[in-house]
Amino acid sequence: MLNFLGTIAGNALGLPGILGLALGMLTRNPFIAGILGAAVGLAETLVFAGFSFARVETLELVIALCVGVLASLIGCGIRVKGTTV
Amino acid sequence: MTEPTNNDGAKKRGGLLGLWDWFWRPSGVLSVGFTLIAGFLIGILFWGGFHWSMEMTNTEEFCTGCHTMETNLGEYRETVHYNNHSGVRAICSDCHVPKEWNHKVKAKIMAVKDIYHELVGTIDTSEKYEDHRLGMASQTWKKMKQSDSRECRNCHNFDYMDFTMQEGRAASEHQRAIDTGMTCIDCHQGIAHNLPPNYLEEYNRVVEELEANATPGAQGGLNVSLAAVRAFISGDPAPASER
Repeated sequence: MLNFLGTIAGNALGLPGILGLALGMLTRNPFIAGILGAAVGLAETLVFAGFSFARVETLELVIALCVGVLASLIGCGIRVKGTTV
Repeated sequence: MTEPTNNDGAKKRGGLLGLWDWFWRPSGVLSVGFTLIAGFLIGILFWGGFHWSMEMTNTEEFCTGCHTMETNLGEYRETVHYNNHSGVRAICSDCHVPKEWNHKVKAKIMAVKDIYHELVGTIDTSEKYEDHRLGMASQTWKKMKQSDSRECRNCHNFDYMDFTMQEGRAASEHQRAIDTGMTCIDCHQGIAHNLPPNYLEEYNRVVEELEANATPGAQGGLNVSLAAVRAFISGDPAPASER
């Protein structure tokens, strides 16, 4: 459980969380934001696995994707709420 | 008396809702540039402060501030990682906290359990500490085995070793470790703290557990067969084919 929570925290404070949030703030469309966030989560996992899918752990990939999508959706929400454009 | 209203005529809300409305209200006095620069500077301050706080939790004083760390601190102070001919010291975080950001944050979150156990007194007497010694050591061995002794490799590297400056046994064993693809923790389990009883059996169990859960192509020491590890520990030559 702690391992699981630690992985979530590491992703939330890492690229999926921070960059996902920033990319989400680029659009008012939640689908595009979600795709961008998922792309960041996938890219970060691949980078840490040395660009080898064989070395990617499924749980870490899933968590990175979920955190990336969530962060980008929050960013999209910030864009919608905080701007008129 | 008229109720206070916003610029758009809506009634001003109080408390947290009022704070929420204020936060999202367009500014009539702050330029985009000012907001951007202020946000940038606040971001720097926050990130710097966050890192500074995190590094404070990596100091030996912080780690050993808990009473339950006295035993392993005393043991560590008798080892070469504390005092040696070169004056290089490895403190708690050098071995137990990864340097890479995502691994570091994960380790910090998992370390919250230490606060819980300090508060409830899980190992607050020497008897309790000895009862849990094997379990605590096993947790660390498992982490190091899974990461191919990542924290050891922050400082140590086979490529940087001059075998002519090592004792004969150390040189031959390190060469065998290179040849069979072993990782540091396969041999150096008691490098900084006293070994618990039956540590070899427990370490073999950890390796078996990781082998059973390992996926093909997994990184680091998991590619080494259990037979190679057992042969190495017992002193029998391990053929390269068992890699």
